[in-house]
Amino acid sequence: MSLKNVFTDWSRYRKGIEEGGFHDYEHMWGMAVDLNKCIGCNACAVACYAENNLAVVGEEKFYKGQAMHWMRIERYWDEPDLGEDRVKEFNHHGANFIPMMCQNCNAATCEPVCPVAATYHTPDGLNAQVYNRCIGSRYCSNNCPYRLRFFNFYSYYESSWPEPLHMQLNPDLTVRDKGVMEKCTFCVQRIRAAKDKARREDRKVRDGEFLPACAQTCPTGAITFGDLLTLHTPGGGVGETKVAQMWRDHQVELGKTRQTKQNPELRGYRVFEGLNTDPCVMYLERVREV
Amino acid sequence: MSNIQQLPSRQVSNRGMEGGRRSLCRFLMPLSFPWVLLWVLALGGLVLMPGAVLAEVPNAVPPEGTYEGEHVEQPIEFPHDTHADVNKINCMYCHTYARRSPVAGIPPTSKCMGCHSIIATDKPRIKQLTEYWDKRQPPPWKKVHDVPDFVHFTHEKHLKRFVFDNEGMDVENVAEVCAFCHGEVKKMTVANKVKPLTMGFCRRCHEANDGPFDCWKCHK
Amino acid sequence: MSNKVNRRDFLKIMGWSGVGATLAGCDLPTTVTLEEGKEEVVSYLMPEEFVIPGIGVWYASTCLQCPAGCGVHGRVREGRVLKLEGNPESPINRGRLCQMGQSGVQAHYNPDRITQPMLRKNGGLTPVSWHDALEVLAQRTGPGSGLTGERFAWFTDTISGHQAVLLDAHLKAMGSDNHYVHEVINNSVTRAVNRDMLGEEQPRLRFDKARVVLSFGADFLGTWQSPVHNATEYAKFRSPPRGVLVQVEPNMSLTGANADLWVPVRPGTEGLLALAIAKVLATKHRKPLDKLPAAVQELILGYDVNEVARITGASGDHIIKIAGWLSERSPSLVIAGATAEGHEQGYQIVAAIMLLNIILGNVGETIEPAGEFPFPQLTARTGGTRSLVDFAKALEEKRYDVVFFRGANPVYTAPKALGLAQKLEGVGFKVAFSMFQDETTALADLVLPMRSPAEDWGTHVPAYQGEDRVISVQQPLMEPLYTETRGFGDVMLSLLKMHKVAGYSDYEDYYAYLRDAFAAMPAVLKENHSDDSFWARALQKGVIPVPTTQGSLTVKTAAVEVPGDSGRGEYPYFLVPAARLGMWDGRHANIPWLQEAPDQITKVVWNSWAEMHPSTARKLGVKTGDAVRIASSQGTIEANVYVYKGIHPDVIAVPMGRGHEAYGRYAQGRGVNPLKILDPVTERKTGELALMATRVQVSRASNEKVMVKLGGSESQLGRKIVATVTADVFERTEGGA
Repeated sequence: MSLKNVFTDWSRYRKGIEEGGFHDYEHMWGMAVDLNKCIGCNACAVACYAENNLAVVGEEKFYKGQAMHWMRIERYWDEPDLGEDRVKEFNHHGANFIPMMCQNCNAATCEPVCPVAATYHTPDGLNAQVYNRCIGSRYCSNNCPYRLRFFNFYSYYESSWPEPLHMQLNPDLTVRDKGVMEKCTFCVQRIRAAKDKARREDRKVRDGEFLPACAQTCPTGAITFGDLLTLHTPGGGVGETKVAQMWRDHQVELGKTRQTKQNPELRGYRVFEGLNTDPCVMYLERVREV
Repeated sequence: MSNIQQLPSRQVSNRGMEGGRRSLCRFLMPLSFPWVLLWVLALGGLVLMPGAVLAEVPNAVPPEGTYEGEHVEQPIEFPHDTHADVNKINCMYCHTYARRSPVAGIPPTSKCMGCHSIIATDKPRIKQLTEYWDKRQPPPWKKVHDVPDFVHFTHEKHLKRFVFDNEGMDVENVAEVCAFCHGEVKKMTVANKVKPLTMGFCRRCHEANDGPFDCWKCHK
Repeated sequence: MSNKVNRRDFLKIMGWSGVGATLAGCDLPTTVTLEEGKEEVVSYLMPEEFVIPGIGVWYASTCLQCPAGCGVHGRVREGRVLKLEGNPESPINRGRLCQMGQSGVQAHYNPDRITQPMLRKNGGLTPVSWHDALEVLAQRTGPGSGLTGERFAWFTDTISGHQAVLLDAHLKAMGSDNHYVHEVINNSVTRAVNRDMLGEEQPRLRFDKARVVLSFGADFLGTWQSPVHNATEYAKFRSPPRGVLVQVEPNMSLTGANADLWVPVRPGTEGLLALAIAKVLATKHRKPLDKLPAAVQELILGYDVNEVARITGASGDHIIKIAGWLSERSPSLVIAGATAEGHEQGYQIVAAIMLLNIILGNVGETIEPAGEFPFPQLTARTGGTRSLVDFAKALEEKRYDVVFFRGANPVYTAPKALGLAQKLEGVGFKVAFSMFQDETTALADLVLPMRSPAEDWGTHVPAYQGEDRVISVQQPLMEPLYTETRGFGDVMLSLLKMHKVAGYSDYEDYYAYLRDAFAAMPAVLKENHSDDSFWARALQKGVIPVPTTQGSLTVKTAAVEVPGDSGRGEYPYFLVPAARLGMWDGRHANIPWLQEAPDQITKVVWNSWAEMHPSTARKLGVKTGDAVRIASSQGTIEANVYVYKGIHPDVIAVPMGRGHEAYGRYAQGRGVNPLKILDPVTERKTGELALMATRVQVSRASNEKVMVKLGGSESQLGRKIVATVTADVFERTEGGA
């Protein structure tokens, strides 16, 4: 059924772009990450380990690039062109931190290359990975421009969770076995639970009712998560989620390879947008007093 | 060849790519040898299926498929027949979590003792139970129905669809819905697995009853 | 269905042959399908009304991963605690949590926990029963043991709440007042300065109100006072109108990495820099100095900015820029942390820095009185490294026959020069109340296995509370993993019963004691609730708000005497033992998540490193990844180098927390411990160890180990990954928001 899903996604995506909206989506989960607030403390990454049964691979395998951090804080030093001094002796403006998690691209580069359609787009706008379907070709991770797909080169169950550490494992999701690709899911188990709860109470999922583990723990509240669909209701206004409002405020739109902003100074941008991946994560530029 | 034709038609269809998918299947199916084989096996199973006739569940098509499970030795040979058939106790009286949780749950020992501190206290199996209770220890029941780790199955949603949100459905007959996947437990003592609970089994039922088809609805 | 083709193998064949991905082979059982009857399902004996199997229940408790005392919610499913989140009810962390808090579950489920009491017999530790352990305790420390109070001491980490009450009662019963409280990451010197200059040790700091924060080595986002609380305040500080953060320190901390202006200084010259800024404020910006004593005024006006710039290593332009910001944007907040405190003249340096707050009129604005906490018996017993020095001295004089250890790991944290491990041999009977076989526990004669924070009861009153004051309640999130572990409070009650202390002998356990203690709390806390409903409410919310009296700050200044250039000599570099949010003081080294979590600045994992400036590296002929030998007069350590521009050229920084000789499988034999080679220099006024005062030689060593770190490129190579705008633009676009 997954090939069908892939075809459905593509046609839905095209239709979405043409008609200026994603009308038959149930949700379109998205994020806004404010780099003015992000302090690079790594709380989100460890929260992700705790929530999503991420394996600890150890020093050796980390060196080989086999670490499993679905969410990582990247840190870059300034290139010598910011501010007054061109060739600087010191990093006077601190570090450049950016939390990177699966960008849940609408035109995901990982999806079309999967030979078994183990990765596809859900009607929630999520880029899904079906573990039991994955055969480990690793095409998807090679095709991801963000390097946010992680492969289980080994079976980590014994080595990563020696007794009784395994008792901490979250039963809401699988412990992935050897040969399987995995990635950030926007904490789909939490989305699922929230939708179940909403259905039980005969209502729609409320904005802010649940958060992915990273957004919930973030000490500075730099990560905003929610449904972007309201971005596409004309006028927004009533019922617009916080995250959709942030996208609108910063004049960032889905379905574009380059944003045409009325006010080009607004901080919103998407990483590697020009590659036509159409990510669902918007970043707000870091700010420095120069 | 198209086995899909043999499946009952769905009542409502609001799924966008239905036609496309069906023609796609028709095109691809002959290419797949295992598919044919599997359907032959499945149809064979249908023919051999004992003629147990379930009471009517409105707006539902029971899933097809059988399985011959091994007998599971339980710490106490719990008689489902006495409870559900003879005494007509509703399944959800004991498996009370089914309607609000992914798991149906084994009833807490205190619930057993709620009745059996008075009823049938002289029977050997009840004496066994009382022994556990006096030791403040729940009996170590063996799990019979299980799905793989990567499957997210929730009783709650299925009960909502087939029982509580199902017009014309009498909650008294909930056992008929449970029987979709668990078989006629009320004819058994301890439960045996009599349905395959494979993805194909789930899938056919989802097709027949217009269940969701998104991978991430059921896989985690 | 005997044909057990793995479903994924099947897909593999289909996938590689090109088509057929639609056909899932759905009827093949997978190899992971569980056969019937292989697993057990254990039902509840008697379920709680609200417990539904398959759905998590959240319980409020308190995080004990550091002394900040954040409130947590623990998600419990089927009797196991799975995940911790911040408790939104707690004014300390407002629903947020740091990485150390998140990994509390891995401390709890750690595979290296001690599971039963152990007694030293013939040199080795052998398991004993609790009954025997308590018997031994009674023989050695009980009423008939002949042990006097002077010969007994407690050595703990920060302790507060009712555990502190019980500990005090035990000390009283022993007739002893020897309680050493030890924290490597502390702010003892600042507290002493605050007490003398403001009249309050821990005034409330208002980051949210400040327009400029000037921090001299206070890593308030990472390791200082209450990091998560500070981070929540920082978010407000950075919202429009956006405040400016200036960080002055020898090597970049997490806070420094977020600064608008990061200024490197030679360690120990921070006070000088502060006074130079004061001079610019007075001369260029006409800030009156009249609140300061004449001698101090004279001192300030005597400085030459260029001369100070030369000594400190900060540029004169930066000094002028900082003074400009401080004078233009009011109110501001000036704080001092570990790298300013850790010198022989640390007190004087911090006092000089605090003068800026007085000149700028920040006292009463961004520095508010915290007020008196109405229950002094519950307040935190905090400490620093003076306890280590004093303890070592007492051991030297062979003052103790019996020492009880709890929480702290002095054998790991004490510099080799203090000779603590050897001196401890002179203590006849050492008892460790511990969860892990760490360095100190390994030397103990009796090891009492403690329950984890997720299994125990308690109350906590953190020393610094930036907002409304609370008593934070700790409740067990699950049944103990090991039946032979006991809660700290329970053991304390056993000890008090042993001494037949009146008022404690009736309690069956610590829970019963706490119930009674809560019932005895004054009506103002109970808000008209009955005892039972007050208790239930406290557990539900996780915190009990405590109204405090309005305090006031009285400014008092004295003469300051700041050190200047300390020369170079035989040991040309300063060694900075860097504190990091993660390993902390070494207590989290056995948590795999934190070992694998990249360091915030260098992104190194699983090992120690030595930070170095490019110019220094050039001089030594090393590059990132090469090994160096760092030698002080006290010893040598080796680590791989990380070269970057976030450190003063005269400084080598090595993070604290690794280099354990004992502790557990994740900690042991990994990295180095810079604390070991520190010179035993103490701060003159407070007696704290001067952690930043050690000078070292650095030389190349043979590369034996690769340095493992996250990420390949140190810069963005021109790609727009992290984009930056100037504050002007931010002000224009979002300033009105």
